Amino acid sequence: MNDPRLARLATLLVDYSLRLREGEVVRVNSSDAAAPLILAIQRVAIERGVHAYANVALEGLAEILVSEGSREQREFVSDLAYREVDRLDAEITIWSEANTKSFSRADPEARGQVYAAERSLVNRRWQRIGRGEMRWVGTLMPTNAHAQDAEMSLLEYEDFVFRACHVDGDQDPLAHWRAAAEELTARAAEFADAREVRIVGPDTDLRLGVAGRTWQPSYGTHNMPDGEVFTSPVETETEGEIRFTLPAVFYGREVEDIRLRFEGGRVVDADARSGADYLRTLLDTDDGARVLGEFAFGLNYEIDRWTRNILFDEKIGGTVHLALGSGFDDCGSKNESALHWDIICDLREEGEIYADGELVWRAGRFLEAPKPAVERV
Amino acid sequence: MLVDYSVAAREGQQITIEAPSLAAPLVREVYRRILAAGAHPLPRIGIEGMLENLMLEGSDAQLDWVNPARRDDIEEVDGRVVIMAPLNTRSLTRVDASKQARLHRALEPQRNRYLERAANGELRWVLTLFPTQAAAQDAGMSLPEFEDFVYAAGFLDRDDPVAEWKRFGERLDGVEAFLSGISELRVLAEDTDLRVGVGGRTWIGSRGLENFPDGEIFTGPVETSVEGTIRFTYPAIFHGREIDDVRLRFEGGEVVEATAARGEDLLREMVAVDEGARRVGEFAFGLNEAVTAFTREILFDEKIGGTVHLALGTAYPETGSSNRSALHWDLICDLRDGGEVYADGELAYRDGAFVVL
Repeated sequence: MNDPRLARLATLLVDYSLRLREGEVVRVNSSDAAAPLILAIQRVAIERGVHAYANVALEGLAEILVSEGSREQREFVSDLAYREVDRLDAEITIWSEANTKSFSRADPEARGQVYAAERSLVNRRWQRIGRGEMRWVGTLMPTNAHAQDAEMSLLEYEDFVFRACHVDGDQDPLAHWRAAAEELTARAAEFADAREVRIVGPDTDLRLGVAGRTWQPSYGTHNMPDGEVFTSPVETETEGEIRFTLPAVFYGREVEDIRLRFEGGRVVDADARSGADYLRTLLDTDDGARVLGEFAFGLNYEIDRWTRNILFDEKIGGTVHLALGSGFDDCGSKNESALHWDIICDLREEGEIYADGELVWRAGRFLEAPKPAVERV
Repeated sequence: MLVDYSVAAREGQQITIEAPSLAAPLVREVYRRILAAGAHPLPRIGIEGMLENLMLEGSDAQLDWVNPARRDDIEEVDGRVVIMAPLNTRSLTRVDASKQARLHRALEPQRNRYLERAANGELRWVLTLFPTQAAAQDAGMSLPEFEDFVYAAGFLDRDDPVAEWKRFGERLDGVEAFLSGISELRVLAEDTDLRVGVGGRTWIGSRGLENFPDGEIFTGPVETSVEGTIRFTYPAIFHGREIDDVRLRFEGGEVVEATAARGEDLLREMVAVDEGARRVGEFAFGLNEAVTAFTREILFDEKIGGTVHLALGTAYPETGSSNRSALHWDLICDLRDGGEVYADGELAYRDGAFVVL
């Protein structure tokens, strides 16, 4: 397989997302299904004088650990693994599954122990990223499993993924993403002084307090594809109701047509056409699970459909999403929870958003392009 | 066999599984057995093509780079199960021999270190091969035929393979006892008259612990002792490239003349890798009678019952040899048809079998 789009995606990840430099060490985490993209990344890395190697999760091993390992084995994280993370300058995660439902029948407690062990390594990575010691980007290599979830053929899905990353045509992907970075940065800056965001749509009228919160643009340095602007709302100010027309997915389980009512920042009423019990279970996870940790605009207009994969779904151009549960420290959030559940609200057909009473968005589009940041001074 | 017998995994140990993704079915079984033993499996899975990319396009700095995480593995793990599963045994054919040599030199300290830890009893390792189409093709067999060959060579077609390997080990002990009292071996065959000093060196019988399948007895000859000529009946293979009809002449333990009917340039480059590459680091008898065919895979070929082989380059330290090199390259000489070996002047081996035992 020698799809030129893979080579362009590899170049984008190496030169734009991670800006790898000569002598740096990058680890590519993935499954064997992603081999063509791993090799493409390695080729670009070699050209740049970078030391690249792969960390490959072979299909089936995690399932064997969950079902046959002892608790001690499931919770084990080798000190070798921590030290390995500590030495990296950068890391690329390629999600690429042969079967997205491998764990659906696993014992949840055993699975949770394996996840917790994996999370301790991911947390170590985030600590290092937070200190500026390493960079990370996550992307996806199309497989039949992901295509099936998205209800497409593999060929259609490949077109969709590579279009979303802007590596599919004659255009220079790096130029596109640099322009997107400027635009999204300017958009985030426009919201810096906003005090309230109001979302109006079918069965929806929700007010969020955002005073004093930081808005972040997300333009391809942590996710590829990318394209969102997000913040964490003030914990006590969310008021009103919202209806989510797209199904919400959590660990492979779907909840359809969710309706939430907020008072004083907290969900006080929750219903759904299917999966309502699961919805209520998730809301009862802990105290912070009923409070919003995130509000975001999806602004990648090449992502034009729902695919059951949050990497893409949260960026669908013309949607907003809210996350129940933990918020982002760097946005100013104080909400803590074990939950962070993104739920997407489609505003493309009809829907309006007001910032401090002024209409800024209608039917999935901002009314005006963001003013370049320099002119705002 | 690999987990319970070869590396003898025990509770709480860390065992790496080093394999390409093509070996997935065997990796999963090994992973299962390691869990069942109460140990922690640490998979290190390779992607076909990465080594080729590195060797074809890598700079010197990249070829010299040793991943510190893998160096840590070598220092700390209790066992290594290393599985070969080639997708294409010739994928490195286009690569510059000097680049291959450079990469090997970079990995040399790591190789020496795990052999040292193994010699000290701190680490157990085993190398095996998962049958693939590419390996079968090299052996001139269909995949089902090659699978039968591989599993027969490991005695896995017998009722109790562990018992078979223990019995085989007892036979090796007898050979070992005999060879341990010998100070010089002389190998005689067509175009071959080679003297190898082995006095004071330790003979080690390989009984399925570090290679699987297995079946050889080897030592590290006295570094300066090898004298005479040897002609190797089978092609010598280095990373997929074949060198036909290798002939070597030794003086004072060093190769002083190296010729081949085909691939002589590569042969000369290999011998010139470093100081130790000119000396013999290993001399061995192949003793596995279930391995009868030449397969172009050294894991099997060096155990062909009725052959001897010697390796240019680094020695196994536990034999008592101090020869060190980035190279360890096995060359095989078939003695089944008229070959003889004299031990301190007495005929000890003829037509591929010991006559003294």
